[in-house]
Amino acid sequence: MKQTAKIIPCYAADTSGVCSALYELGGMIAVHDASGVNSTYATHDEPRWETVQSMIYVSGLTELDAILGNDEKFIADVTAAAKDQKPAFIAVCGSPMPMMIGVDFDAVAAEIEQRSDIRTFALHTNGMHSYSEGASEALLTVAREYIQPPANKIPDGVNILGALPLDFGNPAEIPAIRAWLKENGFSVISCLAAGDSLEMIAKAGNAAVNLVVSYSGLAAAAYLYEAFGIPYVCGVPFGGAFSQKLADSLRHAAETGQPESPCTFRGTSGRKIAVIGENLIAGSAAAQLGLMGYEAHLICPLPHADKLLMQGDSDAASEEEIEQYLAQMQPDAVIADPLYRFILPKDTKHIGLPHYAFSGRCFERQMQNLTGTNFEAWLRSAQ
Amino acid sequence: MIKIAIYGKGGIGKSTISGNLSAEFAARGLRVMQIGCDPKADSTALLHHGSRIPTVLQLEREKGNKIALEDIVTVSESGVICVEAGGPVPGVGCAGRGIINALETLKKLGAYEKYQPDIVLYDVLGDVVCGGFSMPMRKGYADRVFVVTSGEKMARYAAANICMAVQNFQGRGYASLGGLILNCRNVPDEQKLTEELAADFDTKIIGMIERSQEIQQADAEGCPFIVKYPQCPAAQQMRALADAMLRECEA
Repeated sequence: MKQTAKIIPCYAADTSGVCSALYELGGMIAVHDASGVNSTYATHDEPRWETVQSMIYVSGLTELDAILGNDEKFIADVTAAAKDQKPAFIAVCGSPMPMMIGVDFDAVAAEIEQRSDIRTFALHTNGMHSYSEGASEALLTVAREYIQPPANKIPDGVNILGALPLDFGNPAEIPAIRAWLKENGFSVISCLAAGDSLEMIAKAGNAAVNLVVSYSGLAAAAYLYEAFGIPYVCGVPFGGAFSQKLADSLRHAAETGQPESPCTFRGTSGRKIAVIGENLIAGSAAAQLGLMGYEAHLICPLPHADKLLMQGDSDAASEEEIEQYLAQMQPDAVIADPLYRFILPKDTKHIGLPHYAFSGRCFERQMQNLTGTNFEAWLRSAQ
Repeated sequence: MIKIAIYGKGGIGKSTISGNLSAEFAARGLRVMQIGCDPKADSTALLHHGSRIPTVLQLEREKGNKIALEDIVTVSESGVICVEAGGPVPGVGCAGRGIINALETLKKLGAYEKYQPDIVLYDVLGDVVCGGFSMPMRKGYADRVFVVTSGEKMARYAAANICMAVQNFQGRGYASLGGLILNCRNVPDEQKLTEELAADFDTKIIGMIERSQEIQQADAEGCPFIVKYPQCPAAQQMRALADAMLRECEA
């Protein structure tokens, strides 16, 4: 029963991660899927749909086209739409049906590029993985394709990597992270990928250090470290103490050139709190709680980096495993999306922290901006 | 790295030829990886005394994302690195998708980088009936496709379909046709009919294995005939085939 959830929903799928990561970059995203599902990728999983335009298309794959392997229709339709819309790039990606019939998206992308003369790349989604994996591949591809080698290094320059509204559902949060970086003496070169154009992102190679705020940004960060020697620091500036620690880490990494992961700090005593969520985001909340004197552990049901999961943390991915872990840990409180409330042990306090990639718009008005000391204020009010 | 895919009608002798080629290449000191792409998972049995090895899909089901390269690779006594994709039991699931999944898993686990084979040999089930069965001929997998056929009508028909698929995919940078392997069934005008088929696709018969008792005996004993009966005429023809395939791939 490990892949079955009786009560909680599943996280947004990889295709939504691709659409979210590329939403503001001026490209065309063509999802090979049945007609009608665009609303999932472009509206249900996308808080920007009302305010920012984006070219997200669905191919309208039919049963007969799938059976006959009619790639030509997809290629011709995307080429025609691209010639009309003139996007900066074209990204093609898949869903369960093309996965089952084995569509070769790399070959399809090459044919579209040849016909349209517009840079086209394939992203290998199939709807079976989480949004983090789709976004991760999309951000890595953008980094590889568009970020130029450093021309004029900016000593205090920093990029934010992995900033998606699927993870940061409060519209004020990503701007608040930018503002926090400025307050700490950094200048933000680019944010991958919310709020900046492809032109801004192309200059990211000039940074002294990268701030990775979610698992989705980790692969791009590792690439930029390998290609251009830009070190990266993993964490989100939650809480006064952890924000300070994170800022120190950024300065230190910029000096040493080595990656750092302050979000792995865990407290070893005090009241027990479990934080369920995204590897770096929930991990940063656990680190801040540790600095506040709690014994906090992360439960990460999403893709994670092994090095960012500490002793006592859990990679329990299924409802059953999460229930077992919590029964064993016996936390005093659990910080998690409101929909997790229904699988917590009886009499365990639940502190709701809505996650857009999990509960969508259900709790949109309760999405938090936990940057800096907002975290402590929120925790006080929630308790 | 030479990457070869062996296609052909079901029961035409692909696995016998693949197993013997692998044994021959390994005997020459080459590092060989043979990947069986057939739900029956018996491609490499000849290299393991007739026994079957665990399949990628079976292990994936058991171990989930904790699967490791060492779990899915079995090295034969002769040093051939063997992998079986596996697939669903007859009548259910999707065998083609199984091949895609298994080959993607191998790639994801870094099989080619870790073992660094000189030759990779994909032994692929039957006809190219769906997208999954074209996977081994896609970019990044095999560079050359060799089609096993006899002079029998249905074997030539299947071979023609496979050659057509290879031609259709040329624009996508997939594998090219290396030639036909004639596995004789002693039908009238066998060589002439196969040569005509080769001419239709602007290719050639790259090697011929005559029907012989030794092939069947060695098969029954779970051993490559090139190892069991190294002096028999079929073994000599197999060595000539191995030479010709290497020349073709290196050309």
